[in-house]
Amino acid sequence: MLDVKLHDIGEGMTEGEIVHYFVKEGDHVKADQPLVEVQTDKMVAELPSPGTGTIKEIVVPVGETVQVGTTLLYLEGEGAEPQSSEPAPAEADAASEEHAVTQLAAKELTKKRIQTTINRVLATPFTRKIARDHGIDIENVQATDPSGRVTEEDVYQYINGEQAAKPEPQAPTREQAVQSTQPDEIPFRGIRKQIANKMTKSIYTIPHVTHFDEINMTRLVELREELKASGDSISVPAFLVKALTIALKDFPVFNAELDEENETIVLKKDYHIGLATDTSDGLIVPVLHHADQKSIQQLHDEIKELNQKTKEGQLKPADMQNGTFTVSNVGPLGSTGATPIINYPETALIAFHKTKKMPIVSEDNEIVIGHMMNVSMSFDHRVADGAKAVDFTNRLAGLIENPNKLMLEMI
Amino acid sequence: MVVGEITEERDLIIIGGGPGGYTAAIRAAQLGLEVTLVEQADLGGICLNQGCIPSKVWTHAAKKKSEIPQMQKMGLDVSTGEIDLDTLIDYKSQITEQLRKGVEALCQANKIEVIQGKATFTGGDRIGVEYGHQFDTYLFDKAIIATGSTAVFPEHFPKQGERIFLSHDIFNFKEIPEHLIVYGRDLIAFEMATTYQSFGSKVTLIQDDDINLDQAIEKELKRSLKKKKIRLIKKDSLKSIEETDEGVIVSLTDDKGKEQTIEGSHLYTSGDRQPNLEPLGIDRFGIGQTSDGHIIVNNTMQSSIPSIYAIGDVTEGPSLAIKAIKQGKVAAEAIAGKNPEVDLTFLPTIMHTTPPIASVGLTEQEAEEHDLDIHVGQFNLNANGYAKLTGQTDGMIKVISDANTEIILGIHMIGEGAIELSSTFVQLLEMAAKVEDVTFPLYAHPSTNEGLLEAVDALTGQSIHLPPTKQQTKIVERSLT
Repeated sequence: MLDVKLHDIGEGMTEGEIVHYFVKEGDHVKADQPLVEVQTDKMVAELPSPGTGTIKEIVVPVGETVQVGTTLLYLEGEGAEPQSSEPAPAEADAASEEHAVTQLAAKELTKKRIQTTINRVLATPFTRKIARDHGIDIENVQATDPSGRVTEEDVYQYINGEQAAKPEPQAPTREQAVQSTQPDEIPFRGIRKQIANKMTKSIYTIPHVTHFDEINMTRLVELREELKASGDSISVPAFLVKALTIALKDFPVFNAELDEENETIVLKKDYHIGLATDTSDGLIVPVLHHADQKSIQQLHDEIKELNQKTKEGQLKPADMQNGTFTVSNVGPLGSTGATPIINYPETALIAFHKTKKMPIVSEDNEIVIGHMMNVSMSFDHRVADGAKAVDFTNRLAGLIENPNKLMLEMI
Repeated sequence: MVVGEITEERDLIIIGGGPGGYTAAIRAAQLGLEVTLVEQADLGGICLNQGCIPSKVWTHAAKKKSEIPQMQKMGLDVSTGEIDLDTLIDYKSQITEQLRKGVEALCQANKIEVIQGKATFTGGDRIGVEYGHQFDTYLFDKAIIATGSTAVFPEHFPKQGERIFLSHDIFNFKEIPEHLIVYGRDLIAFEMATTYQSFGSKVTLIQDDDINLDQAIEKELKRSLKKKKIRLIKKDSLKSIEETDEGVIVSLTDDKGKEQTIEGSHLYTSGDRQPNLEPLGIDRFGIGQTSDGHIIVNNTMQSSIPSIYAIGDVTEGPSLAIKAIKQGKVAAEAIAGKNPEVDLTFLPTIMHTTPPIASVGLTEQEAEEHDLDIHVGQFNLNANGYAKLTGQTDGMIKVISDANTEIILGIHMIGEGAIELSSTFVQLLEMAAKVEDVTFPLYAHPSTNEGLLEAVDALTGQSIHLPPTKQQTKIVERSLT
């Protein structure tokens, strides 16, 4: 039995009035089906069903105002699989099915344990920790000792770039061949490894400088709310990418690539914005191509799509190539500052941190509440200098702080 | 229900004060975090109060009782040699209380805020805590779910009666059953079987699943059960379990297709374990779960909601405190910005049976299934001087090494001393030790430790206390055949 409680739907609500029930006692409901409409001081919201099952009892009558945490109704659940539309199986069968699933999971774990034991990197826990602390995968470190044991020294050599990347094994063993038929793991390894190599190359090639600034997001937040009220929900990153492309056009040196061999700095005419994305496999950077030629709505849609593809592991190599500048939008995860590594061979990368409500001094010398966001911008000091970076972030801040200005720049 | 007017903010909220939860809390506090720990019952959780600790009071008592004949041989006067369960239950209560107070004191000393109440997620970034008529909401930066699991009856089991015990209920029963039927779901079943046999019960053990032990260890375990007159039945399908005024009747078909009816006075099962997640309501916020309802986590215990971590029985894998404790530390360290990881590859299998079992790494069957070239060394404890003088000669140690690299792949032991030696086994595997790494060091003499040395020496036919014909060495080298 599941008790469906009034939970905080957002903005720190503490109570709500029950407006309407979409269901009655005895009804069969599916997961995410709306159960009840609740009026808060800010909005009317629908509470979805937390699972599939039957409504046993409605506790709170319509019209009553209750506190967050109050049980509204009881739902007799049908187990973890919410999509089941078939008649509920007999209890014993359900239990036995669950047991079978557990057994299967246990078998999978045993298989994984055996594989790890056989294919493990021969390194002590201490050596493995050094690798973790430096953000490298110990599997990429080559053992210099003929015994195949990866030592502390090997790891440090790898960190210092004194070791070439480990060659890919020539012919996969039978076990590996079996493994590669499983989706979601192997196809991503190549992509990930490429990026890892790039990052390592970046940090040992590019003299990084990171410059910090803060941007007042208050007006952008307001604009978003206005748009939202009129039915257009646009994510913050869409605005930020738009502003970036405009600022980059004014400061082309940050949308560039240093060609050391030919002694030139190549200013790119395309604005392909990489979007650093956190996935279960680690950091992946899908690229939003020709960002400068797209409307904010298009940017919003494409960012969403790329995000989705990234999370689902559906990215193709083309989706990750030819970036000219990278954005790391870590704000939703939190953080106030970072020293990001440039996505080699690009010249610069900007990280957008968490937008927080802060007391700020307004133009009228009053303390008001503003939405403030920190940014950390890393750039290649061989290509540009600090003053230029400050000019660039000032321009960027100007566009974001006065989003109306964005319009002036639209094509 | 009264609702707190103010939503309080916390850096780290840990829900559940079991071995995983309180370990996470202390480690997080050690790393400078301000920690709030929400527990609805007693600190220490099932493990300390009802599970691991009480069960080890029982297995320890059983072990000591089984040593009485040896004590008498050595001239110790142990007059009746009987066990009084009333006293044992009191002893268990004293021990759990002392340990619980210890945990409480440690939490206090580490300035951990402990809230007694029932937690529910009311948002992806907040929980409500209900205690009595109070309901307070806490906003958190990070949360760790450590709510553990609950034992439930396996399928076809009748509702719990006077004579049927689920999991730790048996530790409150003040009689020694005349004939205890143990229905085996896991390792605890084997522990209860040897424990109650030692206490004086007739025991029938119904094994309902394969145990994932090395074949030699399993064979020795079965031999030991037989010697104790514990009847072992491998079940194929269970037909019914019926409780009467006099006892419990189990009808089943065994693995040889024979129908059997077992009549006992009582029945014990450790049951299946179900993660305690439903009351938390976290599924409403889209946390990633496996098809059997466990929270999916990465190797730093982070869930699909980046601010929420999960440890212990609510995550996949065996429901063991060993796992929860490690995961608790890792979650706390990850939240504090360190780079820890959980790797359960060398999670030891531990059974406090009489004699006990400790096993880690590859079994011989597993190595064979994967076509590995291996050496197998085995040493029986009856050739160990210390085992002889303590009268604990039942059992053996078996070591499996890679024939090409000499790296130790697995160590398995049944016999007295296995539990304490298990850490050495795990360390050798974690360090990727080779044969010489085990044979080079000096070993206490006389001691059970020497058994490990001799088993490893047997890999090369050089165990001192085994005659040449009994060096239990086996070489499986497929590349040569």
